[in-house]
Amino acid sequence: MLELRDVAYAYAGAPALRDVTLRVGQRELVALAGPNGSGKSTLLKLIARVFAPQRGTIAFEGTPLAQWLGKDYAKRVGYLPQDPDPAFPMRALDVVVTGRAPYLGRFAWESARDWDEARAALALCDAEHLAERYLDEMSGGERKRVFLARVLAGQPRLILLDEPLAALDLAHVQQFAALLRDVVDRTGATVLFAAHDLNWAAAHSDRMLVMQQGALALDAAPSEVMRAEVVRALFGLEVETVARDGRTWIVPRVT
Amino acid sequence: MNDERTAAGSPSSFIVHRSSFGVALLALSALLVLSIALGVRFGATPIHWNDPTSRTILLQIRLPRVLLAAAIGAALAVAGVTFQTLLRNPLADPFILGVSGGAACGAAVSAALGLSRIPGLVPLIAFAGACGATAAVFLLARRRDHTDPTRLLLSGLVLNAFFSAVILISFGLARQSDLTAALRWMMGTVAGATWTAVALVVAFLVVTMLILAWFANDLRMLAFGEEDAKARGVDVERVTLAGFAAASIVTGAAVAVSGIIGFVGLLVPHLIRLIWRRDFRFLLPLCALGGAALMAGADLVSRVSVPDAELPIGAFTAILGVPFFLSLLRRAR
Repeated sequence: MLELRDVAYAYAGAPALRDVTLRVGQRELVALAGPNGSGKSTLLKLIARVFAPQRGTIAFEGTPLAQWLGKDYAKRVGYLPQDPDPAFPMRALDVVVTGRAPYLGRFAWESARDWDEARAALALCDAEHLAERYLDEMSGGERKRVFLARVLAGQPRLILLDEPLAALDLAHVQQFAALLRDVVDRTGATVLFAAHDLNWAAAHSDRMLVMQQGALALDAAPSEVMRAEVVRALFGLEVETVARDGRTWIVPRVT
Repeated sequence: MNDERTAAGSPSSFIVHRSSFGVALLALSALLVLSIALGVRFGATPIHWNDPTSRTILLQIRLPRVLLAAAIGAALAVAGVTFQTLLRNPLADPFILGVSGGAACGAAVSAALGLSRIPGLVPLIAFAGACGATAAVFLLARRRDHTDPTRLLLSGLVLNAFFSAVILISFGLARQSDLTAALRWMMGTVAGATWTAVALVVAFLVVTMLILAWFANDLRMLAFGEEDAKARGVDVERVTLAGFAAASIVTGAAVAVSGIIGFVGLLVPHLIRLIWRRDFRFLLPLCALGGAALMAGADLVSRVSVPDAELPIGAFTAILGVPFFLSLLRRAR
């Protein structure tokens, strides 16, 4: 579905991504892990067509990104930036329905179907009750769900989420991660989410892409990443591992 | 407020959206017609339709004046809402961005140099000043194919300071007779409006609104930021450039004809948003109607409030608008 080959990108001469090559298939739940500044956000932005890669190629469904029409691509690939914030107060439902924008023609208004899709997306995110509330009256977790609904309203095949679990408390992380799993199961879409927290990334994904200084350092199942020697090699951090209910968690050694 | 509660209970809120937009369009249109009618009806001399002199005053002086005020109000409000949308900043308006300052600078300097004796020259220079200022602000704020809203506002502020300095110097050097013309221009006025001026501003307004309507669906997506809009398939650079060009040109046309009339571009979009709070596609026509109604009303008040005198219309847009705005702001969330 998605294929990157030797993709590189630099901000004003400072390299952010070096020669990233990877493939992502359908119905995958993939975590993009790695420390701050390792290139996770940049990689998502390149896939979302916010920037174009300076070297290498990205192809979606066999077609290079540059050859996709903007709106056609936006119908298939949904992107949730780290801190989306509308400039003026908006109701949740009005925010969610903007997810239908790629389907609107020029001079067109949302049809009854667009509003129905928006409501359905809110329902899928367990946020129907928020529909008429204003974003600036919501908690961080509620906003995240509204913005996920906005992405889902466009019915994308590939969903890119930049740090969706950051700034959520424990209970909301669990809830939101379960929601991501649900989205993959119910819509058949692929979810690629960035998460700097290795434990959460591993607990809530089927596959992990670990970034390190702009390069793809490891592409493996969570069980293979969550090992003390791997974490030491990738993060330069001494950790212990704890196995619970078939999952492995890492615990940093506090000195 | 009631509107929100009915929306919550109804099965599909899109019907509510449509109807409240329809209501808003109707209400503002009615307000505009009313203020134009009152503006034509009342003035320094009473109007008697059977009297030829009276009819000439009505058709050649008062009607074009009221319509010019309305067209300029619409132009400034449309420019204001466009700048606010483009910059994601509620403080943006044609004045803060230096567009009006550029026009004022061109006009004041040429008037102070005595060029106002040549008909049509000062407005032309004012228009050139508005376009030049926009281009300068835009180029200053551009770095590597990217226009940064904060840099844009800052560039506008700095250029405004520069324009003010140039205007003051030109006043200092001007002769007394030329100074009056320049000052009158700085205060802003729709007195002495001609049908040509009306046609000119309306033409610019219509073209601008068509351009903005063409991009309306893209412009509203900018609310979530440039990167978000790009990921949704919006050609951000093209939309930004088109929006800026359209809003600046219509500002230039308005300022070139009437001088500087402040506050409309900032006030009207906020009023509309406080009442209806909708996206750009709703705001564009509503701001045009609201701006037109406010200016036609302000023009009437400026003519009739003090007998045998005419007060600056710009002052009345503020005096009419500010209390209304403040009361809405206090009641709003």
